[in-house]
Amino acid sequence: MAAAEPGEPAVPEEDPEAEPEPELELSAELRSRRSAEARRLVLSPRRLSGPLPAGLSQWFPALELLDVSGTGLAELGGGLLALPRLHTLLAKNNRLGGPGSLPKGLGQAPLGRSLRVLNLSGNRFAELPPALLGLRGLQSLSLGGNRLHGIPPDIQELRSLEFLYLGGNFITSIPPELANLPSLSYLVLCDNKIQSIPPQLAQLHSLRSLSLHNNLLTYLPREILNLVHLEELSLRGNPLVVRFVRDLTYNPPSLQELAGRTIKTRNVPYAPSDLPENLVRYLSLASNCPNPKCGGVYFDSCVRQIKFVDFCGKYRIPLMHYLCSPECSSPCSSASQSSTSQSESDSEDEASVAARRMQKVLLG
Amino acid sequence: METEMWKARSLEELVRILHRLFAEDKVSVEEVQALMESYESNPEEWLQYAKFDQYRYTRNLVDNGNGKFNLMILCWGEGHGSSIHDHTDSHCFMKILQGNLKETLFEWPEKKGNGEMTKKSERVLRENQCAYINDSIGLHRVENISHTESAVSLHLYSPPFDSCNTFDQRTGHKHKVKMTFYSQFGERTLCVSRRWHAVLQPLTERCHMWGWG
Repeated sequence: MAAAEPGEPAVPEEDPEAEPEPELELSAELRSRRSAEARRLVLSPRRLSGPLPAGLSQWFPALELLDVSGTGLAELGGGLLALPRLHTLLAKNNRLGGPGSLPKGLGQAPLGRSLRVLNLSGNRFAELPPALLGLRGLQSLSLGGNRLHGIPPDIQELRSLEFLYLGGNFITSIPPELANLPSLSYLVLCDNKIQSIPPQLAQLHSLRSLSLHNNLLTYLPREILNLVHLEELSLRGNPLVVRFVRDLTYNPPSLQELAGRTIKTRNVPYAPSDLPENLVRYLSLASNCPNPKCGGVYFDSCVRQIKFVDFCGKYRIPLMHYLCSPECSSPCSSASQSSTSQSESDSEDEASVAARRMQKVLLG
Repeated sequence: METEMWKARSLEELVRILHRLFAEDKVSVEEVQALMESYESNPEEWLQYAKFDQYRYTRNLVDNGNGKFNLMILCWGEGHGSSIHDHTDSHCFMKILQGNLKETLFEWPEKKGNGEMTKKSERVLRENQCAYINDSIGLHRVENISHTESAVSLHLYSPPFDSCNTFDQRTGHKHKVKMTFYSQFGERTLCVSRRWHAVLQPLTERCHMWGWG
């Protein structure tokens, strides 16, 4: 049934005074159960103090699924590396998390190429183990209920990832590099300490389900409306602002910014050889003002504004806009600024259309 | 009149006794709740109905009670939860078959409510416990708060209903939704709007979690 608590091995002891040696018992047990055809192996709950036996790949060469959940493992050991067909490894509720929890050379081993599903939930990882990043074929990764404080930008190396579960950690921010995972369809970040979502997350075109409940979000980036395939979105348990907010601290643009804006909006031609490299790079970072009447750009100097968008005609989500000047207005609502106003305007604006494309929102 | 306390020794027996109880004109809530609670969950008996979806919880019809009730199994992956919802004037029994579910009760929002909904109470239901709710008691949200274990629950609704209202916790606004079955009598029911179910390779992880065949 569900992963049980680690318990004593069930094998009766012959000498009641001898200390049980779980690793020797496990080795003996597995050696006696060895099979050239067996595709699945599930270990019963126990309390191991060492790694899995080195003979594992010899005894079970055809293994496709291995479940070592609830066995007290503090390190997996190298015995797994030579399993060429293993696609699912479940190691929940163990004591993994220290250095050496995962075997060295994971990415290069046969296991590194075959593994598709890895569940390390309920362990003690304080950071995503770097050894994991070599798993180019990994489709599903769970590190739920660990002690993660962040997500490394290198997560983008898990190119095949479709399913990423990071709920129940201590994550405070999300790296924009997460958006570089081309196949990500299910992202769980609930029960963390996240204060903001990077707008780049809207580039996750395959995202079907996004779980953000029980975090520290006050607003969402406007770009979230671009996730047209999103079918599930959970936002409850966040201190989302309920009233219209206009950020009054507007830093006037620098001369560099004003020049940059002029070049972009007037389409002043320039070649890379015309400008120092740093300015060429600067010009490439221009962001478009979402105000449809403005058509301008901004670099560093912008006005932050929180506006509300109706989803499905019922729910009001606070979205953060960046506008190029206090005179610009957001495309989301040209209506009044009171919190009780309906944000349906007379003409369709791009935000309402995008909002209606979101089919289902699990809110509050 | 004495209320008999039934004991269901298998899922099949539970269904049989339920049919008998609901054939009568009057059904006692206490009797049904005690009966549901008396059944000791045996995964071998319900595994065929327990079809998980990686994105959200699923509703899997087990028996349609001759029109008097619907008996279904809900499968909750890690972190899966429902909206706050009502029960369309029906009785709702919820028994935990595996794992744990958190139930949060809410007061009905004020008519012209435009504020945060009031939480009444919350509890975590354990394996084999059976909870009961109806609209006069209030509204609830049910969620699997575990990040490591999935959960399975057995629900009885009488009379059957296929739509209800979901509520926005922040404003009390309600929204009518239609409910669908992920599977019926152990067979997956595909519907057009969720085409991608067939396209994505199913993750085999969850059915292997319990170590069964």
